[in-house]
Amino acid sequence: MNENVTESHPSGASWVLVGVAWVLVGVPLLWGIFITFKKAALLFR
Amino acid sequence: MAGLLDRERIVAGPGFNRWLVPPAALAIHLSIGMAYGFSVFWLPLSKAIGITAPVGCAADASLLSPLFTTVCDWKISQLGWMYSLFFICLGSSAAIFGGWLERVGPRKAGVAAAFCWGGGFFLSALGIRTHQLWLMLLGSGIIGGCGLGLGYISPVSTLIKWFPDRRGMATGMAIMGFGGGALIGSPMADLLMKHFATPASVGVYETFLTMGSIYFVAMLCGAFGYRVPPTDWKPAGWQPKVTANAMVTNRHVHVREAWRTPQFWFLWGVLCLNVSAGIGVIGMASPMIQEVFGGKLIGVPGVLADLTTEQKAQVATIGAAFAALLSFFNIMGRFLWASASDFIGRKRTYLIFFLLGILLYSSAPGAGKSGSVALFAAIFCVILTMYGGGFATIPAYLADMFGTQFVGAIHGRLLTAWSTAGILGPVLINYIREYQISHGVPNAQAYNTTMYILAGLLGVGLICNLAVRPVAERYFMSESELAAVRGAK
Repeated sequence: MNENVTESHPSGASWVLVGVAWVLVGVPLLWGIFITFKKAALLFR
Repeated sequence: MAGLLDRERIVAGPGFNRWLVPPAALAIHLSIGMAYGFSVFWLPLSKAIGITAPVGCAADASLLSPLFTTVCDWKISQLGWMYSLFFICLGSSAAIFGGWLERVGPRKAGVAAAFCWGGGFFLSALGIRTHQLWLMLLGSGIIGGCGLGLGYISPVSTLIKWFPDRRGMATGMAIMGFGGGALIGSPMADLLMKHFATPASVGVYETFLTMGSIYFVAMLCGAFGYRVPPTDWKPAGWQPKVTANAMVTNRHVHVREAWRTPQFWFLWGVLCLNVSAGIGVIGMASPMIQEVFGGKLIGVPGVLADLTTEQKAQVATIGAAFAALLSFFNIMGRFLWASASDFIGRKRTYLIFFLLGILLYSSAPGAGKSGSVALFAAIFCVILTMYGGGFATIPAYLADMFGTQFVGAIHGRLLTAWSTAGILGPVLINYIREYQISHGVPNAQAYNTTMYILAGLLGVGLICNLAVRPVAERYFMSESELAAVRGAK
């Protein structure tokens, strides 16, 4: 590749892939945060 | 197979979406982040033979016998060696293999990390099955620890190159995953152990096999998701700032030279002291809130020692809830502070960590004395955001000071500061506390001096940060040296 190559605009399909990738890592992370909050809620009873 | 992992094979083509790289990095960091959650295994493993209660070892057993015994249970303190091995191997492997990572690219390093971390789980499973502690320590502690180091640094350089406009945010996203790994891994391990437990087994062996498989696949997916940008790639419409900010260089320092600069060692001190203070707080947060507030946490009068066994159990549950809350703020701080550093600058971000840190660490004893649980908890939540933020902002700080060409390798070497802090922090806290209690200081007050000493550590960190100045001209690579390095890759 040459110097100063700039980002060509990603296709619509690539944004679908981005969405899928983020869901795959985001759902477990949100589940973990939910469990943590459930535990932490005891502090505020 | 070798070709599939080569750097040349993963140079992104036109139209590649750079937002695919952070989730790939997160897949790896969320997997290795389980290192923080290993304590979930200690209690079941401490009764792996006795099942319902631990089987004690003979009083005359030798020092090394726990490593090989198959007739009595391991103690939690023996299993705790795993954490020390994690910290030591993480820093050492990141320092040793950082240069190799820059040469071969992130995919090969990510795959190696998957084999080490996943393979470490499998070897540990064998150690649990045969009740051989040495095999467990070798598997997860040493081999897995090397996987931690490799996996931790594998996306850093790549993310910084993909997001030159938001270096802090990009690395913050990945390093947030390392903090979040235990949030997923600990409850998952708990569910799996309950599922696999039988009258003859505590279910840990099967849990290790299952989790090792999950992590191995997730990390491979992450590694194969990595793409590196073409040389000198820039986001559309973005131009590096031409304003004379000497604290952000557009040139590059070779990893061989970086550690000879005073800046490297000042930043080493910055990370080590920020982490030492933070680790100290994490370790004592749960017992501290219980001992400082005692019965007040459950609405009854009296200090902890005056409570009934049932009340103490309730207070302990509140302590665990507090630790869970802190872990959330730890991961949030990683993303938020690192992202904020893109706007306020890295040096100023650490200035805030140290100044605000000194203020908060020094205020904690007063908050405890005032009896306000909410104020006390709020102070520790903010402290934990800055502990996480310290980890997540350092790669961007390094890229600003030393350039992006070798930032992965330089970051790897800097992580020895984390290993040092992993030993220094807990040792310091435990010894100070034991010393005070042995000299008649009440348990609840023994934390006060510790907090002031931790504030002192932050004071030294503040001086290190203030001493960071732009790197001297002689350390930067010439254009021909840079071209030679890039040609060699």
